[in-house]
Amino acid sequence: MALPKRIIKETERLMAEPVPGISAVPHEDNLRYFDVTIDGPSQSPYEQGTFKLELFLPDDYPMTPPKVRFLTKIYHPNIDKLGRICLDVLKSNWSPALQIRTILLSIQALLGAPNPDDPLANDVAKRWKEDQNAAIQTARDWTTQYAKK
Amino acid sequence: MGAKVPRNFRLLEELEKGEKGLGAEACSYGLEDGDDLLMSNWNGTILGPPHSVHENRIYSLRIHCGDQYPDVPPDVIFITKINLPCVDAKNGKVDATKLPCLVQWKRDFTMETILIELRRYMALPQHKKLPQPPEGTQF
Repeated sequence: MALPKRIIKETERLMAEPVPGISAVPHEDNLRYFDVTIDGPSQSPYEQGTFKLELFLPDDYPMTPPKVRFLTKIYHPNIDKLGRICLDVLKSNWSPALQIRTILLSIQALLGAPNPDDPLANDVAKRWKEDQNAAIQTARDWTTQYAKK
Repeated sequence: MGAKVPRNFRLLEELEKGEKGLGAEACSYGLEDGDDLLMSNWNGTILGPPHSVHENRIYSLRIHCGDQYPDVPPDVIFITKINLPCVDAKNGKVDATKLPCLVQWKRDFTMETILIELRRYMALPQHKKLPQPPEGTQF
């Protein structure tokens, strides 16, 4: 099946003008399936870590958002144990004007600004609210343990 | 032909369907370890079909989805002892050459497809009266 022009264009641009700290490479045997890495933003507990993700563009993309999941373990109130991400632009606030690039930037921004009031990982969010310093330290420890460059 | 959903996103879809209980009532399944990012090992249960020796019995199974799933079917193993021609009497393993959906595996089949078919297989006229081990014994 031919790949829609929109996907080809996005892929070409991701290759030609990559976003600093983010990479997205399609699988040779499935051009809708990308291996992604995102560097943890500086001055966040994820600094110095490189996180692996996977991204898939479903049949009705861009009418529906891409599916994205972390493959690297991460301690974050909006990311659950299976790497699923709670982010408005991946759900109700998706718009076909958004792109792979903008979504990955939003995920990188989410690492820099955890939102424990809209949690996906309830235990993590609870700890984030009760003892933020300890939670941030755990996030740092996990980054060192699982996401070391 | 549509986009080919990769293994992990397919398993996430199955997980969400299983968690929400959207599937068939008499079968259920879930991740064995909720922390397993690879989502390889699953638990399944089948409620024995009515009007058979299996009525009111609950069967536990273990399902292993390898790297190649869903291009190749998962390994399915009964934990609860059962006497069925497609199940190895020594270890509970389902023989992939004897259950039609495993013989003619298709990429859009799911773990639920297998559980439903096993339940139907248990209820077949030639299987529904087979003598069974005592209830609740394990392989």
